[in-house]
Amino acid sequence: MTAMQDMMKDPHVNLVLSLADDLLMLGHVQGDWTGLGPILEEDIASSSMSQDDLSHALMLYEHLGSRFGLDPDVVAYERGIGDYRCCDLVTVPDEFDWAVAFVRRWMLAHWATPLLDHLIRTGEDDLQERCRRLRAEQALHLMYLDDWMRRLGTGAVEARDRMQAAIERISPLAGMLVETPDGVATSEFDALRSDWIAGMEEVAAAAGLSLDIELPSPDTLGGRRGVHAEHFIQQHTEMNEVRCADPGASW
Amino acid sequence: MVNGDDILASIHETLASIPDPELPCSIVDLGLVEAVTMDDPGRVEITLLPTFTGCPALDMIADDVTRKVGELDSIESCHVTWIFDPPWTTDRITERGRDSLKSHGVTVSRCGGAPSSRTVTLQTSAIPCPWCGSDRTRLESPFGPTRCRSIHYCDACQNTFEDMKRLDGLGKTSTPDPG
Repeated sequence: MTAMQDMMKDPHVNLVLSLADDLLMLGHVQGDWTGLGPILEEDIASSSMSQDDLSHALMLYEHLGSRFGLDPDVVAYERGIGDYRCCDLVTVPDEFDWAVAFVRRWMLAHWATPLLDHLIRTGEDDLQERCRRLRAEQALHLMYLDDWMRRLGTGAVEARDRMQAAIERISPLAGMLVETPDGVATSEFDALRSDWIAGMEEVAAAAGLSLDIELPSPDTLGGRRGVHAEHFIQQHTEMNEVRCADPGASW
Repeated sequence: MVNGDDILASIHETLASIPDPELPCSIVDLGLVEAVTMDDPGRVEITLLPTFTGCPALDMIADDVTRKVGELDSIESCHVTWIFDPPWTTDRITERGRDSLKSHGVTVSRCGGAPSSRTVTLQTSAIPCPWCGSDRTRLESPFGPTRCRSIHYCDACQNTFEDMKRLDGLGKTSTPDPG
């Protein structure tokens, strides 16, 4: 069995990969906004968060790579489509609607927090150390995103309406984030899901926005088991274009 | 025969001369150097702490250290490792580092906000302005020109300045208990 096959059989790996792959794909997808953010500070913030997300994914790939004797870039890029554990919410096209992109990132940052806490409690030493660092940096994203959520929700009518519309667009898909990865006990996940929803509800209430999260509905699921939508495959292909054209390229 | 202590002293001197690529401050004054060890004569291991994991300057810093320390007499090899525990914090910045940063409009605030279990609290007001000294300042954005800096605005002199970002929740004991 190859090291990669060995890795993919470990249930805990599925859990780590679910977060790593979400961050990798979101960092890539949100990169589209660099230079296009609504104001300069927001553009810088969005690009900085994408840069963080990619480096946080790398931290997790490095951990898995060292456990299974694989190069972290190989873990990141050289798996088959069916071995990616991200949820497809991260690659749903935002159609350059800033509010949609924002709400998606907000939901993911709220999910990353309880999941990282879980990995800190249950992971081995190296993973704990890395996740502690990631949690502190992701908490900064959360502070920033929560703050904007409150400001936009309680700001001008148009801002409030656009945020509410974005929440309504993303909410039916949000359950994808909390699909239980293969081999992970459902009971472990229930508490994390409640934490995730409670965290978002608190902010939405302060922002005067209504949030109705539906838990996973079967027709939106599959990402955490490696069954992906067409838009994931497109983004994955785009992300790998240079790597495929010139394997081993560096600059 | 060169004394091991002399070699370590010259390594430290070399490290103190390496500037951070994005700040007016050496990597020693910034508090990036965690340990320098030489178990075998001539073979040096240097452990560094990244400010933020996404800092794009990390490779450049590691290359500078490997090259400059490697060029010293009596050094056969120099190997750099980045570690995350202990975490880098702004407390590691030396007085000299603080002075140099301040003269370039970058403050290092000492008191963070109260740690919250879910988010971090950045100090949002009352960082004295490095230009005019006023306390009438506020946070403009937690994301600045580099990963480790936030942007602030002084209402008194109407200038912007930057602060070295401080993160809470990095210690082993600060993880919330389950449930």
